[in-house]
Order: sequence, then structure tokens, then C-alpha cells
Amino acid sequence: MTEKKHPLRGLDSAAVVLLAIGAVLTTVAFVLSFVSAPLVYGAAVDAPALIGGQMVTNKLLLSQKIFYFHMPVAVTSFVALLFTAIFGALFLVRRERRYDLRAKVATEIALVFILMTMVSGEFWERFEWGVWWTWEPRLTTYFILMLLVIGYFILRGAVDDPERRAVFASVFGIIAFIDVPICFLVTRLVPTSVHPVILRTDSGLGPMMLLPLMLSLVGMFCIAFGLYRFRLREQRLRERLEALKEGLED
Amino acid sequence: MMTPETDAENRSFATDLPVVEVHKLSKSFGARTALDNVSFSLPEGAFLSIFGPNGAGKTTLLRVISTLERPSSGAVRVFDLDLKEQPEAIREHIGFVSHRSLLYPDLTAEENLEFTARLYGMSDPARCATHMLATVELTARRHDLVRSFSRGMTQRLAIARALICDPHLVFLDEPYSGLDPHAVEILDELLATIRQRRSFIMVSHDLQKGFELSTHVLMLAKGRKELFAERSELAFESFANQYHAAVGMEVA
Amino acid sequence: MNSTRPSTFTQYRTLLAKDIRREFRTREMLTAMGIYAVLMLVVFGAALATTVAAFDILQMSGGLIWALIVFTSLLGLTRSFSYEKEEGALEALLLAPLDRSVIFLSKASSNLLFLAVVELIALPLFYFFFLTGSGLAPTFWMTLGPLIVGTVGIAGIGTLLATITMGTRGKDVLLAVLFIPLIFPLLYACVCATTVALLGSEMIMDTYVPSMALAIGYDVVMILVSWLLYDFVVSV
Repeated sequence: MTEKKHPLRGLDSAAVVLLAIGAVLTTVAFVLSFVSAPLVYGAAVDAPALIGGQMVTNKLLLSQKIFYFHMPVAVTSFVALLFTAIFGALFLVRRERRYDLRAKVATEIALVFILMTMVSGEFWERFEWGVWWTWEPRLTTYFILMLLVIGYFILRGAVDDPERRAVFASVFGIIAFIDVPICFLVTRLVPTSVHPVILRTDSGLGPMMLLPLMLSLVGMFCIAFGLYRFRLREQRLRERLEALKEGLED
Repeated sequence: MMTPETDAENRSFATDLPVVEVHKLSKSFGARTALDNVSFSLPEGAFLSIFGPNGAGKTTLLRVISTLERPSSGAVRVFDLDLKEQPEAIREHIGFVSHRSLLYPDLTAEENLEFTARLYGMSDPARCATHMLATVELTARRHDLVRSFSRGMTQRLAIARALICDPHLVFLDEPYSGLDPHAVEILDELLATIRQRRSFIMVSHDLQKGFELSTHVLMLAKGRKELFAERSELAFESFANQYHAAVGMEVA
Repeated sequence: MNSTRPSTFTQYRTLLAKDIRREFRTREMLTAMGIYAVLMLVVFGAALATTVAAFDILQMSGGLIWALIVFTSLLGLTRSFSYEKEEGALEALLLAPLDRSVIFLSKASSNLLFLAVVELIALPLFYFFFLTGSGLAPTFWMTLGPLIVGTVGIAGIGTLLATITMGTRGKDVLLAVLFIPLIFPLLYACVCATTVALLGSEMIMDTYVPSMALAIGYDVVMILVSWLLYDFVVSV
């Protein structure tokens, strides 16, 4: 039988608490972002710029509130992907099934957060830049990231043998994780005449903006970890069920 | 369930150096177990036939000992070399004949053998290839593409490929499958001529043939060792009965 | 007949020679890729039919060239392992006293070679069909940089991915699904470098140098990682 006792059962019950904490933190962060954080002027755009047919130098950008959601979600998804790569490497070294399962669940969480990033990013663009899509570095990177994660699951679905599947997924997870920063660097550093790079200076965050941002970030981490533990437990129970069923057939 | 192997029998092998020593070998992934705590030891010059129903772990065992798959736990020593530590040193002295030819169909017989000889670092690849072609009686077809060969000829060339490095241990993975009676006869003769100084491990579905060729037999069921014994200690009848008892009604 | 442990380089040469000999006998990959490249040029011809100004084509040609290379290489890469699988020849390689990274290097080399041959045919054709009307910039020769670096990267990472996908269901589509997002950074950098070299504007170095630096960086990192991880991929 696979696992008779769960040494991490404590973590599973902590998952509920973490989810609750995460929910509270993110909610507080959102409320704070509206109540205390100052509205951002168009000063966040470097210079007066014509974007999507409108000048955005001196406009109050209420849509900037998306930022308090968007940025933590994006960071969380990347951290989840980091865990995919770490568990992948652990699997390749130790060849234990559990690492593959963890890598898979981490990638599932990454996908959820990437999708949230993409959706919130879409609103952001529409209202701040006035376009639905632009091949801007961060957007492009996240789009590629999303394709890589989808590719990861298509790859898993295409291999029947569980050990091969685990090895291939681990290797691809590691390469994909390395690919993402390069992708960002390339799209960021190579100037092209075709698409103007819209530079935003994120350094101008005052304390009243930093606080909700940090709360939101910590909250998102809690939510992601809670979801991860839940999903992992569900998957493990499912596996034990399968093993029991097989045992009955014999 | 019978496990006739006792400590006394283990010791009887210990006098000459075992060519293969398998100790508590397991191969599993998640809930699926392919091999479960298999141990045996094979003296030099032995011919081991592995029997068992489909999914018993025969091929997995062959692939683990031949360094193609890594064991989950347990130890395997081949030529007194550790499988995990020195797989490449082991690979220098093993040959593998599968039911697939492991050849390139778009290269000629000679090119295939020369390629393999080069890979193994033989001093004179061309002479090596010529010699092996003569051994398997394919000299006349040396410049023909393997794609044009019959099943029997391909299998002979596959054996030549496996033996070109002069291996001490040869693995045979269902070498008879898909061969017509004539080709089986030729293969039998060929096996008889190459048996000297070599050890063999064969996986076979053919109970009679596998039993006749062997010096040792290993029976697996669900990844576990059901029987390991020297053939001289067994009568075919009782062995066949045991096999059917272990396998159930799957084999007529 | 005695054997000594062959040098890694001898084994590399043996494997590469096998691939080349086989390819020049069957011409499987070269014909497939060559025909596909020509057909893509035909499609480009239709796609650009209404583009009047030659300058427009010149501006786009960097992107078109790379579209051609990426899709053509995909076709070749899916085939590069089919004959290793056909009769289990790859298993024979794994059973030989041979470092697995040698298999990677030789396969990547042969893929690079075949890809280069196809490019040597397809790119002059591209020039012939689309660029004869527009005067080439004096910096034209600088397109060689991204072409070499890009093709090396495609062959390297493509070999790893082709090894992964060869044993899977629906391998042709799967290779594209994994390959294109992974090489996106390289593709982006190479397109930029190729385009500025073709246009030959004054500020060319501002784009060309960072593009090439990043493309080379990508090659080094990705080929190194592929080389390190290849043992895991090929031996399961």
C-alpha cells in the first residue's frame, strides 16, 4: 500500500486555517487599497503618452486598484511554478512517486493563478492602456508561461506509463521554469521599433500602497498553499482508493 | 506457493563466482509493483529461463539486470560489478537479443554490424563485421538493406549484433516470437554454437523450449519469485504442473 | 578480437556518421523539410500578394524567415527519432557502453546539419521570390549571426523535446505544443536581430547587440540544461 500514515496530516488541517487567513488578508488588502491607498495619477506613466487614442498623463486611474490583486496573483503563480521545478528535480534524483504528485499539484495551482493573472491583466490593459492586447514584456511572458503550463498538462496526458510521465513532466517543468525569466529578459531588453515599450515605474509606492500590497501578497500565498494541500490530499486519497480497488480485483 | 530455495542451496553457488547476483530486488512506482523482493544468484556459464504469466515482471527483471531500467530498491551485481555504480562497465560485456531486431532497417547488414563494432570500440570494425556475418551465414546478403530481410534473417543479424562485442552475458527477450519453424531451427543451432563460455538469461513463453535450453529456471508471478531452481533438480512434468498451478488457467 | 574503451569522440563520430549515411540514403528528413519549406514560400506568396511596397516586405521578411525555419524544423525534428524507435535501435544505443549525453550531442548535431542544409536551399529561394525587388542593406551579411545562433538553439532544445515526444500519443502536435512556447525567447531575439540586419538602419547595433547576446545566452543555458537532463529523458 502507498502511504499508511500521513506525517504531514498537521499541514492538512493547517490548510483550512491558512485558507481562512488568506481570505481575510486579501479582503483586508482590497478594502485598504480603496480606503487608504491614494489614487494613482497618470504619473505612473513616464511621459505623456497616447495610448489607444487617449492621453494618460494626468488622469486618476481607479483601475489601478486591480494592481493590488494582479501583482500578488502573478507573483504567487510564479512561486508555484518554482515548486514545480523543485519537486521535479527532487523526483529525478529520488524517483519517488510523491514528488511527481506534488509537482503536478503545484502546477495545477500555478495554472489557476496564471489564469487569474491573465484575466486581471486583461482588465488592467483595457482600462490603463486602452488596448485589449499588446506584446508588452510582462504580458508576453505570462502568455508564454500559460502556454508552457498548458503544454505541461498536455504532455502528462499523452504518456501512459506513470514513471515515464513523471520523468518527462519533471524535465519539462524544470526547463519551462528556466525559460520564463529568459523570456521576460528578451522581451524586455530587446528594443523593437514595432511595439513601444510602456515603462511604468513601480518604485513610487508609498507606505499606504505598500501595506495593502504586502497583505494581499501574503494572503495569496496562504490561499495558494491551502489549495495546494487540499488538492494534494484529495489526490492521495484517490490514489489509495485506486490501490484498494486493484487489491479487491486480485 | 513454493519457495524451494534455501540457504544451503545459496551456498552451493557461492563456490564459483556468480555472474549475476540479485539481492532483494524490487521495482515499483507508486502503487504499482513490477518486481517484489526478488533474490537469486546465477553461476557463470548458466542458462537461466524466466517463466511467468503476462505482467509477472519477466521483462522488467531482464531490463533491470541489463541496465535499461533502474531498480527501486535492492542490489544487483553483474560480473561482480554494482549495477548502480558501474552500469557502463557492465554494458561493455553484455549482449541483448529482443523480439525486435534493434537494427537500422535502412542500413545494410554490414553497416549495422560495423556501426555496433565501432560503438563498442572494437579494434578492427570491418573484420569484426565480416566475421560475425560469416558466423550467422549472412555473408551473401551483406550489402542488402536490413529492411529487405525476412524475419528469420533479421533475427540472425540481431544475434550477430548482440554478439559482436563478445559478451559474457547474453539476454534473450522472447527471441523465438514471430519466427517460422525453419527459422526456429536455425536459431536453435546458432544458440548451441554460441553457448560456450557465455551465460544466458532468457524470457520465454515457450515452456518446453525454455526448460530444455536452461540450466536454471526462475518462475515469477505478480513480481514475486515463485520458484528458482537448477533444472537438473526438476522434472519437466512436475515443473509444468507447478507452473500451471502458479499461473492458473491462463496457459493451456 | 579485442575491444578497448572507445573515446567519446569516436562514438560521437560513429553516431553522427550513421545518421548522415542513413539520411543520404533515404533522404526522408531532407525531402520532407525541403518540400515543406517551398510550400511555405508559396503560402507566403499568397499572403503577401497585396503588399505593394517592397519596403513592407523587407520589414516583414525577418519574421517570415523565422516562421519558415521554425515550422520546417518542427517537421524534421519529429522525424529525427522515428527510425531509432522503429526496430528499437535506440535501446541498442542505451545498452552500449556509451555516455547518454553523446547520444544527445550527436543527434543535435545531425539535426543541426540537416536544418542547415534546408536553410541553404530555402533562404536563397526566399530572397529570389520576395527580396530581389528591394535593395539589400549593406548589413545584410549580419543575418548570418541570428541564423546560426537560432538554428543551433532549435536543434539543441528540439532534440531534447523530440526525445520526450517520440514515445507519446499524438507526438507531432505535442512537439509543437512544447517546442514553440519554449523557443519563444530565442525566436523573438532572432527575429529582431534578423530584421534590423535586413533593414540596415542607423541604430542597428542598439537592437542587434542585445538580441544576439540574449539569443546566445539562451542557447548556452538551454543546451546545457538539455545536455544535463538528457540521461533522464532517454533512459526511461
